[in-house]
Amino acid sequence: MNKLQNWKIPVFITFILLGVLITVQFRTQQTYLRELSQQSTDDLLQMLSRNDEEITKLEQELIVLDQKLRAVSTDVSTGENLTKELQQDILKQKTAIGLMPVKGPGITITIGADSPIMYLDLIDIINELWNAQAEAIAINEHRVTSWSKIHWSGENNMAVTVNGNKITFPCVITAIGDPNKLEEGLRLMGGVLDDLAIYNIYPVINKEESLEIPAAEIPNIRHMKPKIES
Amino acid sequence: MWVPFLGLLVGLLIGTALNIPIPGVWAKYLSIAVLAALDSAFGGIKSIFEERFNAAILLTGFFSNTLMAALLAYLGDQLGVDLYLAAVIAFGVRLFQNLAIIRRELLNIWVEKRRLKKRKRDNSE
Repeated sequence: MNKLQNWKIPVFITFILLGVLITVQFRTQQTYLRELSQQSTDDLLQMLSRNDEEITKLEQELIVLDQKLRAVSTDVSTGENLTKELQQDILKQKTAIGLMPVKGPGITITIGADSPIMYLDLIDIINELWNAQAEAIAINEHRVTSWSKIHWSGENNMAVTVNGNKITFPCVITAIGDPNKLEEGLRLMGGVLDDLAIYNIYPVINKEESLEIPAAEIPNIRHMKPKIES
Repeated sequence: MWVPFLGLLVGLLIGTALNIPIPGVWAKYLSIAVLAALDSAFGGIKSIFEERFNAAILLTGFFSNTLMAALLAYLGDQLGVDLYLAAVIAFGVRLFQNLAIIRRELLNIWVEKRRLKKRKRDNSE
């Protein structure tokens, strides 16, 4: 055996290569066996049925979640509808009591600066306008509401005030409603215009297609409370 | 005697450390290459015992056998002939023959040594 001195290195190299080959093959075989195509039919069937079960479970979960989603979205939409209705209600009521700026057809009544007008005349005109189904009235851009007051001013009792604001002349009364009806109401025989004519007051009445009336300020409510009937 | 074992150990360590990735589909061809390599390696050891060892023959045989075995197996797969089995049988049979020869040679050496020892003892008595 020792007669051949040069055998050790080649054999050493050969066996190193053999070892490398064996480990590589071992590892490759392990990964190969783990591949799906190398699994036994029973194992594959079991995996398949397990996956099927998982799919059914997830589908049921999906159905439940879908129902929940639908319920929640219906809730949300009814909530949204309710909010919208409430907002529309509030807007309508604010418009009715004069807390919203409004626009529409109507008439303007201009009273010249040289007219010897009294605050009672203004009240008469306003009453007549309400009577002719005016929906919103303003005097010189001051909105007339249910809590408005029209009176003499304090000092010399010469100026007219609306809601405490002094009225400057020429004074313009704006009213939104049916223009023809409003004018007819003012021009009634023995009505407001006839009364004013006695004092040589001749207001100018104009029908307008589109008028704008500002909002009133919100009144101070301290004592009254809504009475809710149960 | 320890050289092949040491070489194998070093080779295993290198193979483990390198972690060469081979696609799973090649496992079949690599396995036949490993079989061919085993055959060549044991053939080399057998030739040492027979005192016909040749480094060139061992190394060229090792490489060409492994490559040719893998290539033939691949070719067989492409042609629809199981050349793979032919290689397994050819290399397998040779491998066992080589192992048998190595075993016999080792046994001979052992028996020879014992006889020498016994003779020495007899002579000393």
